[in-house]
Amino acid sequence: MPSETSAAGTGYEPKIVAFVCTWCTYTGADLAGTSRLQMPSNVRVVRLNCSSRVDPLFVMKAFERGADGVIVSGCHPGDCHYSTGNYFARRRFAIFRELLDFMGVDARRLTISWVSASQGGKWRDVVSETVARVKELGPFNRYRQVEGAERP
Amino acid sequence: MTIKMISHEDLAALVAELIAADTRVIAPVQAKENPAATDYKRIQRFEDATLGFLPRRSLKEFLLPQSEVLLRFQQHKGEVKLEEVPLTPPKQVILGAKPCDAAGLDILDKVMNWDYRDELWFARREATTIVSLLCPGLDCSCFCTAVGVGPDSTRGSDVMLIPMEGGYLAQIVTEKGEALLGSRAQEVTDSSLMAKAEELRQAARKKVEQNLPVVPAEMPDWLANNFGHAYWQTVALRCHGCGACASICPTCHCFDIADERDGVEGGVRRRNWDSCQTGKFTVHASGHNPRNTQNERFRQRVMHKFSIYPLRFGDLLCTGCGRCVRICPAGMNLPEIVGQLMELAGKEPQGSGQ
Amino acid sequence: MNEMRELAAKLLTEGTVKVVIGYEEGPAGVRPAFVTDPAKADTLIFDSRCVQNLAVYLNPRRSDVAKLGKLAIVVKGCDAKAVAGLVREHQVKREDLVIIGVRCGGVVRCADMAAELTADTVADRCQDCEVREPKLYDYLVLPLPPPPPKSTRREDKMAELAKMTAEERWAYWSEQLERCIRCNACREVCPMCFCVQCVADKSQPQWIPTSPTLQGNVMWQMTRVLHQAGRCVDCQECERACPADIPLGLLNRHVAQNVEKRFDYKASDDPSVAAPMGEYRTDDDEEFII
Repeated sequence: MPSETSAAGTGYEPKIVAFVCTWCTYTGADLAGTSRLQMPSNVRVVRLNCSSRVDPLFVMKAFERGADGVIVSGCHPGDCHYSTGNYFARRRFAIFRELLDFMGVDARRLTISWVSASQGGKWRDVVSETVARVKELGPFNRYRQVEGAERP
Repeated sequence: MTIKMISHEDLAALVAELIAADTRVIAPVQAKENPAATDYKRIQRFEDATLGFLPRRSLKEFLLPQSEVLLRFQQHKGEVKLEEVPLTPPKQVILGAKPCDAAGLDILDKVMNWDYRDELWFARREATTIVSLLCPGLDCSCFCTAVGVGPDSTRGSDVMLIPMEGGYLAQIVTEKGEALLGSRAQEVTDSSLMAKAEELRQAARKKVEQNLPVVPAEMPDWLANNFGHAYWQTVALRCHGCGACASICPTCHCFDIADERDGVEGGVRRRNWDSCQTGKFTVHASGHNPRNTQNERFRQRVMHKFSIYPLRFGDLLCTGCGRCVRICPAGMNLPEIVGQLMELAGKEPQGSGQ
Repeated sequence: MNEMRELAAKLLTEGTVKVVIGYEEGPAGVRPAFVTDPAKADTLIFDSRCVQNLAVYLNPRRSDVAKLGKLAIVVKGCDAKAVAGLVREHQVKREDLVIIGVRCGGVVRCADMAAELTADTVADRCQDCEVREPKLYDYLVLPLPPPPPKSTRREDKMAELAKMTAEERWAYWSEQLERCIRCNACREVCPMCFCVQCVADKSQPQWIPTSPTLQGNVMWQMTRVLHQAGRCVDCQECERACPADIPLGLLNRHVAQNVEKRFDYKASDDPSVAAPMGEYRTDDDEEFII
């Protein structure tokens, strides 16, 4: 079984999917763009109404379809456009992250952050950090490596 | 019927030779950490086989895998390329197959070569040699004798082994079986061995026969005429509809075909086991489900095995292995249900109609 | 035993309920029983082999059972948590049920085991049981048996897993989940899986691949345990029903331990306690968020 980290090498560019809320993080990411902040271009953003709209299945699906890392980001606690959505998301992802770890999937592939509409700089940092971290971890092949193996 | 004798050493040498020649040898293997768990597994050494133990799952997965790729596809700029999966399954020998499992394969041959010939099935059948082992009759869930199989049935086997001191009597059933044993099997010189074998057969039959009387030949028709019988309205209250029974059944063979994407441009078409016990099995695109309750779904299971299949192919779709009883988390008991139906059929031979 | 049988007969005779769901001796072990005839009430039994969580039959997915009419149900203290859960999440109305609570001295792991409880045969959930005498009931029957023997089997396994590296844990779980045949027995026996349409059965989009490949199996089991976060009552029916012997109870246990640690919630037999994933505290820990 190939090691999860063995494929990390020079020139490897990870695919990162970001699920962000439209009110804070998406606007913050937009601000990062209009402010011409420099950051890696590995991230594909999926805009949703609220971080609480992010079902852990979205994250698993992204991994299944070839993502090497995932970012989930919403408004800071207390700032949710829907008042309380991010509090529910926080509970859900607290459990999901630890479950990933329990299953042996490196939870460092999943970044969860609060980025407000004014935090273009923070978005750049979140993206840069995540890309650097996932680059080090290498491609995510946990789901794939056993596919097609002879059963039983 | 030719009966020969093969010693333990010769059987072990035969297995070693087969494995060395890259033939897959599959046998019941008891799990070390869980003595209750025996499965048919590919073995690398003869000593790994625990012959005689009842594997939890039937043999069918070696001929109809739980999931198999039928074809691969690639789409590129409106062009679709199909890549067929080659029909060259590896040679395999099943050692210590249960007679109920071996019979199941023979019964399934009929549906696999009916309106459509399942080439994948027959390619694997062709490449497989079945060496069954006389079953002593296991527990109160066995009912093979009631459905026309029996612990000594050679149906579906190429050779049947009968345990004797120092080795096995080998009852040769097919040329394939004869060829497999070759010169390793000797002519039987001691006639008392034959008598001993017959004794074992009778003892096994007797043990199983007490569990359920023989299903009468009129049963398929009676069931067909009693589709609307009140019995069905409460038959499966305790059933969870999980379909575990179908997955371990030697004769359940329904499958589902799924196309799965792998990336943006390609994917595979797979065939996966399915079960009529789940609600999703019959649900229509409209959302309507003609078998909306578990009672109806369980009736389907019984009807298919004891009416639909025998009326079409002449064989009950059940070998009485009793696995469905042993695995059921809710205590559904097929021999009990069949027994109750037989009693009803005896009392109401005309049937209550629809 | 007579106390329970007489009560069942009385409820049926008086017409208080149409069916009593309890346990009976089946041809191959103890199994759920549906008694509609007062004369058959004496088939009901209760002992340490009554492992099944009968609350699953209250689940609104069980339309066949609902059709029988008003029902009484025999519950152990642990099963009462599932009844409470179904009431809490508005799947069943408390007033529609007659709950016959039974005092319990622990149960074995499988219904076909011998009745004698040993450290090897006792169910994991019976350890440190606080509800051997159920708190949610209409009638409470049978004397309290002695407590079950101690077993550290599950906690040992959890500790062993916790000590592993991520690589080793993945190896462990992929070996286990590779065996999954996606029969969904885990879902069907679960009293708390009450969705009318399961996400695993949705095909547009196909969230969870249907093939029993590791990828689909991992997604399915992760989704299942996540949906059971704060719901699971630790009856381990999923694990008992699994034809592939996957230790599903460990996954649920892990999530339950986290739910307790973070949200101070343990599966409760009080229907008025809120479900933890359906509420929040503004000061929930967020050490994992940047």
